[in-house]
Amino acid sequence: MSSQAEATLGLNPRVYQSGLGARLWSFFHNRYVLYGLSVIGFLAIWHWAALHSSIAKFLPTPAEVWTEMVRLSGDRLAGKTLWGHLWASLRRVLIGFAIGLAVGVPLGLFMALNKYVNAVVKPVFDLIKPMPPISWISLSILWFGIGEESKVFIIVVGAFVPALINSYNGIRLVDPALYDAIRMLGGNRRQELLQVTFPAGFPALFAGFQIALSVAWGCVLAAELVGARSGMGYIIILGMKVFNPAMIIGGMVVIALVAGMLSLLLNKVEKVICPWKRELPQ
Amino acid sequence: MKPDQPKIVCQDVSKTFTQRFGKVTIPVLESIDLAVEENEFLVIVGPGQCGKTTLLRIMAGLETPSTGRVSLDGAPVTGPGPDRGLVFQKYMLFPWRTVVGNVEMGPKLRGVPKAERREIAGHYIKLVGLEGFEKAYPHQLSGGMKQRVGIARAYANNPKVMLLDEPFGQLDAQTRYLMEQETVRIWEAEKRTVIFVTNNIDEAIYLGDRIITMEGKLPGRLKSTYQVTLPRPREHMDVEFLELRHQITEETELLL
Amino acid sequence: MDPEARQRESRLLKILPYLSLVAFFVFWQLLVDTGIVPRVLLATPSEVGKLFIAKLTQAQPDGAVLWIHTVVSLGEAIVGYLLALIIGIPLGLLMGWFVVAEGLARPLFEMIRPIPPVAWIPLAIFWFGIGMSGKVFIIWACAVVPCVINAYTGVRMTNPTLIQMARTYGASDWQIFTRICIPSALPMVFGGLQIALALAWTTLVAAELIASDTGLGFLINMGRRLLRPDMIVLGMLMVGLTGFGIGILIDWIEKKLTAGLERGGSAS
Repeated sequence: MSSQAEATLGLNPRVYQSGLGARLWSFFHNRYVLYGLSVIGFLAIWHWAALHSSIAKFLPTPAEVWTEMVRLSGDRLAGKTLWGHLWASLRRVLIGFAIGLAVGVPLGLFMALNKYVNAVVKPVFDLIKPMPPISWISLSILWFGIGEESKVFIIVVGAFVPALINSYNGIRLVDPALYDAIRMLGGNRRQELLQVTFPAGFPALFAGFQIALSVAWGCVLAAELVGARSGMGYIIILGMKVFNPAMIIGGMVVIALVAGMLSLLLNKVEKVICPWKRELPQ
Repeated sequence: MKPDQPKIVCQDVSKTFTQRFGKVTIPVLESIDLAVEENEFLVIVGPGQCGKTTLLRIMAGLETPSTGRVSLDGAPVTGPGPDRGLVFQKYMLFPWRTVVGNVEMGPKLRGVPKAERREIAGHYIKLVGLEGFEKAYPHQLSGGMKQRVGIARAYANNPKVMLLDEPFGQLDAQTRYLMEQETVRIWEAEKRTVIFVTNNIDEAIYLGDRIITMEGKLPGRLKSTYQVTLPRPREHMDVEFLELRHQITEETELLL
Repeated sequence: MDPEARQRESRLLKILPYLSLVAFFVFWQLLVDTGIVPRVLLATPSEVGKLFIAKLTQAQPDGAVLWIHTVVSLGEAIVGYLLALIIGIPLGLLMGWFVVAEGLARPLFEMIRPIPPVAWIPLAIFWFGIGMSGKVFIIWACAVVPCVINAYTGVRMTNPTLIQMARTYGASDWQIFTRICIPSALPMVFGGLQIALALAWTTLVAAELIASDTGLGFLINMGRRLLRPDMIVLGMLMVGLTGFGIGILIDWIEKKLTAGLERGGSAS
């Protein structure tokens, strides 16, 4: 029986049956058992395909990926270990992310608070918004060369869009009756902003941060794929150029792990800063 | 201030909302004349969309009347302020602040130092029966509890008048009865002038010293006044209660 | 504010956006014309416009007419996108209802999910080369994620009361799945389609920038190689415009298909 039905009715007629068949059935219908089987099965199939199948030469075994990752942690590639490259990418992300937020959040704020600013800025923003940040790479490299600036620029473009959108919407969609409440309690205009606008808009703002960070991570990789001498993007494209699939996959594993950890980290931070239930803007 | 002067007076108040730069006008209130005595519990009863919320908002200062004026203790009401406590139908608590954070908001805005405002807040939290829940967040509270916080928050500013806008409309029937009882208890513990808006006749008779009915259609006008002299706590099933209920129901054709 | 002043303000607010856009283009044009920004680095709007008209018919200097680039890009994106839908949506729906499906598919999915779409590019090129199949793979890998997530969530959000009601009629698991869970998951599924589309489009552009010989991403890249910023900007604008247009198309399709159903996942 499906988990949904189990949850809503608590009825599972097969549980009432006895015997080995029923017990096996129960065992295999446990979610975690299935997860385990799935992971083991996946690794087994991967291993087999890497050694015996027709695509074997394109596929390293899981073990080979692991040893490659260990090797890169110690050996230097273009002057840096795996961790050095990771830090190079992270550094660019942090700088670009910070700048993107510093531009996007206040701008979104002013747009939400002032009709004139909104009327002037929004059309230009709507023009720029549908262009993917990655498409700016060529202009960026043309302007800044292949150094750090061109990459940080892409990240800024990528991070600033969701930061602005969420800042704008978060503030715009604050329930106007909350302002009634604070004015009845004696709040003046400045207090309205500080005590209602910011706290009420903050959850949406933070959601914007989360989106901006994951976009930023994607942007840095893209920029590094096009032209870089360091960074995780550099590692995976190098793996492609020198026909070292273990390097590619190993690099992808690290990239995925870092992306996952960053998002987990932000989730934890959100729970600390915003302990109240978040109301999603429509 | 003379002791026999009414606390709040509405003189020939009317309100018309305009849209499209004056081309569309919606008259919401017409010729409202009202005087509320000090510490009187006035209930305004009317069906939905009859203008009673607008009237309350005008008395609160959140809207300005198109004609006429509202005065509190002789002085005209020009804008919102803590001397009028407003309790909202949808609670309107600040979700990012705890119960105590909400209740102490009024004093905090006035710059009252922390220790003092904590004390004030604590007193009113106790008054509404939420002792122990100071550190809870609104989303953790039930509807009835949230409204108690709303009442405490308004009280904490020591207002001259308490304005309640269908405060129990979002609650289920049982909780509603309970909150009506609590309202009487709180009011008797700390008397204030109260103007209470509702669409529920039972509630009006249970709570009010005086009941004013409103017309069922726009523009809203005051219809009749009823004095309720039954001693509190009142019983919904008492003969006098039911007679009054019958009278008002007939007159307003409000279905219960 | 009196009605007259309000009317004046409203009129002003209506024309400001247009004025702003005009000012933006004029400012841009002047930046280059007056020499503040060298012509090598930035093309003026007029140059971009001229190039647009020229490339409607000319294949120079990059090897293909504008129309061909757009179609190639769109084609690759659509194929990858459709494959992602066909696999992702049923998978997500099944995962939402059947424990066996979720148990087996989830670990693999959770491994794929955190991988940023662009990170697939080197692996895809390594396996499939620069041609269309590589691009399709990349698009598929990243578009399948939001499809699965939204389909899964859509099913999980089915109103339990509807399920209980169906059980009292003796409906089987499969019947409940097809008759109740799937229809009520439709709004979420469409939300996922929008997200997947935006993702597919941007990832495709990235892939083309890195390794391709046609397509809008290639156009942008060529612009850099040939030091033709007008080509770059033209490519960027075409990318933005096309993405925008497809988004509107999906909105329209959604409105047609879900007319009458409430947003939010529950059919009531």
